[in-house]
Amino acid sequence: MIRVLLFLHLFLQPQAVAPQPAAQAKALLQSGIDAEDRHDIDHALVEFHKAAELDPSSSEVLLRLGDAYMKKHDAAEAIPPLKRAAELSPDSIPVHQLLGYALLAQGFAAEAIPHLEIARDPGALGIAQLENDESAKAMVNLQSALENDPDNPDLLFYVSRAATAAASQSTDKLLAAFPSSARAHQTRGQGYYQRKMIPEAVKEYEQAIALRPDLPGQHLELGEIYAGLAEWPQAEAQFRTETTLHPGSAEAAFRLGEALVQEGKMKQAADELRRSDSLRPNMPETLYAMGRALAAADASAAEQVLTSVLKIEQNTSLAAQADLLLASIHRKQGKSALAGREMEDYRRIQGLRGQ
Amino acid sequence: MRSGFRKPGILLVLAALPVFAQLLTRAPQFQLTPLHGVDFVLRNSPTPRKYLIETMPGGVALLDYNNDGLLDIFLVNAGHVPDPLRSPVHFERDNPKYWNRLYRQNKDGTFTDVTEQAGLQHAGETNYGMGVAVGDYDNDGFPDIYVTNFGKNILYHNNGDGTFTDVTAKAGVAAGGWSVSAGFFDYDNDGKLDLFVTRYIDWTPETSKTCGRMAEPMYCPPGEFGSTTNILYHNRGDGTFEDVSVTSGIAAKKAHGLGVAFADYDGDGFTDVFVANDATEQFLFHNDGNGKFSEVALDSGAALNNSGKMPSGMGVVFQDYDNDGLPDLLITQLPHEPYVLFHNDGNKSFSALELETGFGALSGTSSGWGVGLEDFDNDGWKDAFIVQGHVFDNVHSYDNSLRYRDIPLLALNNRGHFQRGSVGPTRAVAGRGSAFGDLNNDGWIDAVTTSLGEGPQFYLNRGGKSHWLTITLRGMSSNRDGYGARVQVNGQVRFATAAGSYLSSSDKRLHFGLGDNSKAEIEIRWPSGIHQTLRDVPADQFITIKEPERK
Repeated sequence: MIRVLLFLHLFLQPQAVAPQPAAQAKALLQSGIDAEDRHDIDHALVEFHKAAELDPSSSEVLLRLGDAYMKKHDAAEAIPPLKRAAELSPDSIPVHQLLGYALLAQGFAAEAIPHLEIARDPGALGIAQLENDESAKAMVNLQSALENDPDNPDLLFYVSRAATAAASQSTDKLLAAFPSSARAHQTRGQGYYQRKMIPEAVKEYEQAIALRPDLPGQHLELGEIYAGLAEWPQAEAQFRTETTLHPGSAEAAFRLGEALVQEGKMKQAADELRRSDSLRPNMPETLYAMGRALAAADASAAEQVLTSVLKIEQNTSLAAQADLLLASIHRKQGKSALAGREMEDYRRIQGLRGQ
Repeated sequence: MRSGFRKPGILLVLAALPVFAQLLTRAPQFQLTPLHGVDFVLRNSPTPRKYLIETMPGGVALLDYNNDGLLDIFLVNAGHVPDPLRSPVHFERDNPKYWNRLYRQNKDGTFTDVTEQAGLQHAGETNYGMGVAVGDYDNDGFPDIYVTNFGKNILYHNNGDGTFTDVTAKAGVAAGGWSVSAGFFDYDNDGKLDLFVTRYIDWTPETSKTCGRMAEPMYCPPGEFGSTTNILYHNRGDGTFEDVSVTSGIAAKKAHGLGVAFADYDGDGFTDVFVANDATEQFLFHNDGNGKFSEVALDSGAALNNSGKMPSGMGVVFQDYDNDGLPDLLITQLPHEPYVLFHNDGNKSFSALELETGFGALSGTSSGWGVGLEDFDNDGWKDAFIVQGHVFDNVHSYDNSLRYRDIPLLALNNRGHFQRGSVGPTRAVAGRGSAFGDLNNDGWIDAVTTSLGEGPQFYLNRGGKSHWLTITLRGMSSNRDGYGARVQVNGQVRFATAAGSYLSSSDKRLHFGLGDNSKAEIEIRWPSGIHQTLRDVPADQFITIKEPERK
């Protein structure tokens, strides 16, 4: 409800003109409007109610009454007068818009949708569709609203939710229609992994790979699971297969390089990380991992790549790690002043990050 | 072209065969053996309220308390945890179920429970047991026992007649708070053993809380509680100790201390202190030689792991794994990060080499606690034995790749590179403490481990054909047991200490595997500064070496 009310402030525009009420009712209507201007909503409600009793066929009075209730955050009370107003003025955009908001605020998303369609309010309509499990339609409307208001945090939030819901629906469809397909196993594997059900995730990936060993990404994802378990030989095997299947994948080369670092196979690791760097140059993570791989055997090469990490990264945890590793290399070389300088930088970054 | 690539592969395999064959023939053969007469159960009494103290006990010590030449076993129990827990807490330590226990080894290899006879049954009603340190603080030739607790610690003086006396009040070493590991060492080389005590967090029953899901709470990590300081007691030599934590600089640093180990890492003749901290930077207290310590871990490269992350340091051992004569550090920690191996580079600095040495492929999803660097296969290279088990008993519900109970890791040292070995048929436990020593005096190092909720595990090393030498130091101007001495045998170095591991105290004798060598050359640098050399010492014997007079 709160999120819908937020939208009221964002989207509600006073619009349109309703039929003229009777004279007495008109005076009460004006008195209510004046009260609203004074932010005295309770008084306005009294006046609008009186006006509605005198002129029950005035859609403007009913619209004002519904609007006042919405301003009181009482969507339940707003709905009856707004519904009556919609019957009286079926073409009134403000009436349908406000009624759509009120229904949506009360959780009646399906009922709100036709009113918001009439009101041509893509933002609120997208939200209603999302609530009504129509994520694909919601995505279209929310994107359209976002084009007019690209920095609206609420819209961005709902677009993100709609994308997630659309993905979920596609997944459900995939699993229902093709439950034994490689992609279904892969998808279930992802789901288990997110829920930290690791053995189940591994089993699904293995089944997926058995069915379609050539599909991109599967070996990479399974390798990452093994890496998360620190089971590096298995991780290496999966990453290696991924790099064989997709030799142009910089990420696969990077992951393989990292696994090799963890296994202490530093020379192989450095070679693979260099290959990753050639595919996608100057990724700081790749360069840092290369620095680690080179540190023991080729200090000057390690120094060079770690220095390039520090040119790309400033004041980040990766920069701090690079400083630390550089300090270690310098200490080993007996360059204590340089080591001290790196440690100063490390402490400075840690200080900044601690703030 | 394809066949051209295959040949080198085959050659490589063939070339590697001798190494594997050597490993196979020399691999230690452990046998998990119940020791007759040892009926101890470590009762940590876990409650649904997840009081963090329940996860941390308990220690084991291997000591020869009656000097009959046979190692005896002291085991620290925890206590009953009332639910809810309120201060002042009574842990029912007077109930025999919760006593610490001393088991005397008989000549036939069986053990007799001598706890009451020795006067060790009183662990203190308000003490929840943690660890143990052993050292002859009064140089009377009989090892004394210091027990750490959540509560007050206890120093038991060995009277030399099979009994002990609680001398805590007189000695002034009760500490307080949550003590964990402890160790005796002589930081000022005055010939009298001083005492270092790690403390974990600033925790009381009242500040306790749970973390995790409402429906299934879990223990909170240490960061949820306040940090605390470690304690250094200086031995005055008259049966009393002075708390010098502040004046020495030890108390200037606060963290979450667990394991502690000692060695002179920079060869300046003064024993330094390393504290394994949980989820904070590790501490390396450099002994400045003037009664003061400087914490230098970060600047010496021994504070953070290979990825620049703060290890969850648990247990630690400070010995030389690569036979370069300099003590290195092996630190156990929680899963998903390799156990940390800081190589001593020799210029007052360390490099994290856990990946280069193979630990990256060995640690995996295990959590390590007690740890030893001992030459289990007597090949002249120290291997690693690590007790494992997760902190949280319900960790599987949160991450089913992790397990509460685990088997120990034996990492065999192949010239500085570690490969997984086998501890033989065993079962998974919630492992915690571990001590190492030659229980049956056969020249092969055995391991004793503790685990929550059950009895200790005895890994008896069935041995092999390689030669060995075991040395007992007899200090004269140095402390009587020679703690802090640097002993080099055929190029391998050990730093004399019973401390290290986690909560535990190992056999004070120094064991060396000699491989095929039937003779040994021994060089000792005593804490007094005296150097001693012995040549052509026959292998396969236990020898006692007395510190010579200063010339």
